[in-house]
Amino acid sequence: MSELSNNYFVSVAEIAAKLDQATRIAQQLSLTASNARAVALRAGERAAGFRPLTDFIDRLAEITIKSSRKINKLAANLSQTSADKVRADSAIAHFKVVFVKAKDSEFISSLDEVHQRSLTRQAKLDFSYRRQIDRLSDELEMLSSELRNAVILATLSRVEASQAGTQYQDALINVADNVEGAASKIKEHIHYSQQMVSTLEEY
Amino acid sequence: MKTHKLFENNSHTWLMFGRDDEKPEQIIDTNQYIVISNKNALLMDPGGIELFSAMLSAVIKQLPADKITHLFASHQDPDIISSLGLWDQALPSATLHSPWIWESFIKHFGMNNISYSAIPDEGSSLKIDQVTLDFIPAHYLHSSGNFNVYDKEAKILMSGDIGAALETVDAPLFVEDFDEHIDKMKMFHQRWMPSNEAKNDWVKRVRKLDIEMMCPQHGRIFKGDNVKRFLDWFEALEVGLIAKAKAQE
Repeated sequence: MSELSNNYFVSVAEIAAKLDQATRIAQQLSLTASNARAVALRAGERAAGFRPLTDFIDRLAEITIKSSRKINKLAANLSQTSADKVRADSAIAHFKVVFVKAKDSEFISSLDEVHQRSLTRQAKLDFSYRRQIDRLSDELEMLSSELRNAVILATLSRVEASQAGTQYQDALINVADNVEGAASKIKEHIHYSQQMVSTLEEY
Repeated sequence: MKTHKLFENNSHTWLMFGRDDEKPEQIIDTNQYIVISNKNALLMDPGGIELFSAMLSAVIKQLPADKITHLFASHQDPDIISSLGLWDQALPSATLHSPWIWESFIKHFGMNNISYSAIPDEGSSLKIDQVTLDFIPAHYLHSSGNFNVYDKEAKILMSGDIGAALETVDAPLFVEDFDEHIDKMKMFHQRWMPSNEAKNDWVKRVRKLDIEMMCPQHGRIFKGDNVKRFLDWFEALEVGLIAKAKAQE
């Protein structure tokens, strides 16, 4: 895990990248669900208990992909807002220097209007930035709690796999491992993103 | 940043801004020019992002910000126009005049409010109040889409990188001894200018103009006879060869 960045707009871009990885893993989870269904069909009656679980794996993959995409979009919007915020902050910082350097100029008040406009824009961007962080934070929490089901799903899958007979047991245990592994990797990315989001709240 | 008045009559004034002794050490010193007419002003090659505060501070001492209704960028380089994103916040109603070929490139500097007026390859004119300013083609000198600004009334040619010299911030504003000045600009012209053909075509056209002052974007201003001396020297100079420029250093 890399160190958290000091620049908030870089942190936001890093979150977007992490969540993009999470989406890819979720897509692999969807493949696992298809494989599980194929194995369960081949195993026939011996894997009767496993078949309903494949629907749950499928549902978990679907929810994860959907949620990851939504979070990704939120992170991308946040990234754009933070870049706009940097630009607005920079313009205001430059105006401040001008107000000091040219304080005695008879025309200094001609900057008042654009300065005020920049301050208003900065305030709007600040508000939007904080709202987007809150939404991102909520979505991450929701996905994180969905993924808790993956551990239960993996445990149940293992139990059912043990009933399927030696021919299919390994393949089904492998499915359970994949579900658990994918969920654990996604959770890792989410946890990292949550940590970064909490640092963003300080700006 | 210093401000120097170059010309003044009833209709307009030319000012030069430059020799900024507070600029960061590793960036090239630049000259900025402004034409102020009755109600409007054209700011030429407003400079890089690092110079924005110093530039706006200098400008605001001379005129109200909203009087700057036009900007000109001779070409797309960062020392010319990377401050655009900040001018865009300071002058939301202004128009930027710049070569058509750079429109989609220059907009990368950030342009949400200012509008872009594309100068065609053959050049064009801009009338601000009673003043007419001509955008003279200077392509490949050095940028492939590049213009100078000529003021017939003031007899001033803002020549962009043509006539530029790499100097320190305490250099004099005007060329005093032309022969001595050659060393300061020779390598710049040989290395930065790619085409002898373009250079000779420019010299031929500019010789027909009545010029009292030639004002480059870096270095010193050429005045009176030094303008002709520069044109003669530049015409004879071979440009566009790295090896030759290095050998003659």
